Amino acid sequence: MFDLFSDIFTYRENVMTRIDPRVKLLIALAALVSVVTSVRPVLPLGVFVLCLGTIAALRIPVKLVAIRLAAPFSTVAILVVLQTFVTGTTPLFTLTLGGWTLAAKAEGLRQGLLLGVRVLGALSIVLLLGITTPAHRIFQALRGFRISKEWVEIAILMYRYIFVLMDRVGDLAAAQRLRLGYTAPRRALTSLSALAGATVVHSFEQAGRTHDAMRLRGYRGTMPFGPLPALGRRERGLVALSVILIAAAYGFFEWGTRG
Amino acid sequence: MRAVDVQGTFFTYDDGTEALAGIDFHVEEGEFVAILGSNGSGKTTLIQLLVGLLKAKSGQIVLSGREIGSLTAEELYQRVGLVFQNPNDQLFAATVEEDVAFGPRNLNLPEAEVQMRITEVLTAVAALPLRGRAIHHLSFGEQKRVSLAGVLAMRPAVLILDEPTAGLDPAGEAQMMQLLKKLNREERMTVILATHSVDMLPLFANRIYVLDHGRVLQQGPSEEIFCHQEMIVRAKLRLPYVSRLMYEMKRHDGVPIDGLPLTIGEARAQLLELIPKEMILPGIEEIGP
Repeated sequence: MFDLFSDIFTYRENVMTRIDPRVKLLIALAALVSVVTSVRPVLPLGVFVLCLGTIAALRIPVKLVAIRLAAPFSTVAILVVLQTFVTGTTPLFTLTLGGWTLAAKAEGLRQGLLLGVRVLGALSIVLLLGITTPAHRIFQALRGFRISKEWVEIAILMYRYIFVLMDRVGDLAAAQRLRLGYTAPRRALTSLSALAGATVVHSFEQAGRTHDAMRLRGYRGTMPFGPLPALGRRERGLVALSVILIAAAYGFFEWGTRG
Repeated sequence: MRAVDVQGTFFTYDDGTEALAGIDFHVEEGEFVAILGSNGSGKTTLIQLLVGLLKAKSGQIVLSGREIGSLTAEELYQRVGLVFQNPNDQLFAATVEEDVAFGPRNLNLPEAEVQMRITEVLTAVAALPLRGRAIHHLSFGEQKRVSLAGVLAMRPAVLILDEPTAGLDPAGEAQMMQLLKKLNREERMTVILATHSVDMLPLFANRIYVLDHGRVLQQGPSEEIFCHQEMIVRAKLRLPYVSRLMYEMKRHDGVPIDGLPLTIGEARAQLLELIPKEMILPGIEEIGP
């Protein structure tokens, strides 16, 4: 759990953490658009490798990256398998499973791989952004882009209370485990249901207490935010250069080598 | 002028639990008052009434000469501030700076004033180096101090704290109480704290209110409160440990102790009077008060 949610690396001093979050968000957005609209696997794959290379250069532990990529990798694997056996007409090979004959198709495999690298490319961008930018700086950047205050407020509260609820759920689960709550599958299911219920109740109670605390400090339905400094020439230049590079890469890999 | 004046106040929860039964409670400006009581005695209900989170069924609550119902939210929360027992209930922003700035920004203060208040209150609670830190990276003691800073940034005339030392280690507990003492003695801030921890109160509180089942059993300075032992037992409380030791020595061993010392300093002074001078070795390291 710690590896999945920890943000300690975002507070490290390095070239990536020093960049203004608005700049990083704009570059990430441009990269995301190019990855998800690509029709060839080279660009998403290149973005994936570049992002992982940057993460490695920042000396982020491999275990942490592996844990964060485990779920997307599983999704991609399922996606490729499904596409391979469901889509297309040109057979590659056949498999017989429990009396069922499944035929893998070349078009499906190609389509699955393209979707898979798109997912991995996009996720690696988000992963890099998340590893180099503290959440509150991302929220600040979102405010800078005039995203609805209410959305940003909800995001801030959700992010803050993830950690509180995680602690609480961890304590409850440990208490259940110490009283043999997870020793048999049926018992584990019961314990898990009770844990889920208790978490919902805790969330409601926590929300009530937090709302009271906010009211006592003058909350009237909207969280007040401080001003943001304007983007400097250097930052604007970095955004422009990055967007041009991404557009050039997109043009080269998507259109330049076609037919 | 009285900072807080509560008269004949009743409060009953929707499930029929009578939390306060005709309570009278008053605090003078600049006083340090403790509300002492066991769990379920009505401490939390009383402080929730004082900050307007609950509305009294009957009775009167006056804050610095104004009836609580006649105050706007801005007026009320600049008169009273509440520090919650669990800092997680109160710290909702992502960073220390943003959380402390929340109240002043709600008051529509200019940004320069907001920044000035952040620096001022974080300095006051010895948390200035935490300014840019994420809340979830703070220790429990740090969270407690930051939650106090968030309330102080509103500059309330009366500071109310619900179990301010709960969950703190002895060093954190002493630091928190010293901090409150400093705010009270140097800044002349009125402090009201609800607690069931008795050991530190004689050192800090001008007066103590003992609550039980929504009623005031006794109120007065610590030396008056702790000499009513039957009342202390009835309220499901106890004497400070040092007082209990001296009481037992007096009662069971016949040690001639005057009154009942409430602090280690007082107990030490009395014991030193009883120990023959030749038995006392000079130059031994001093024990703190």
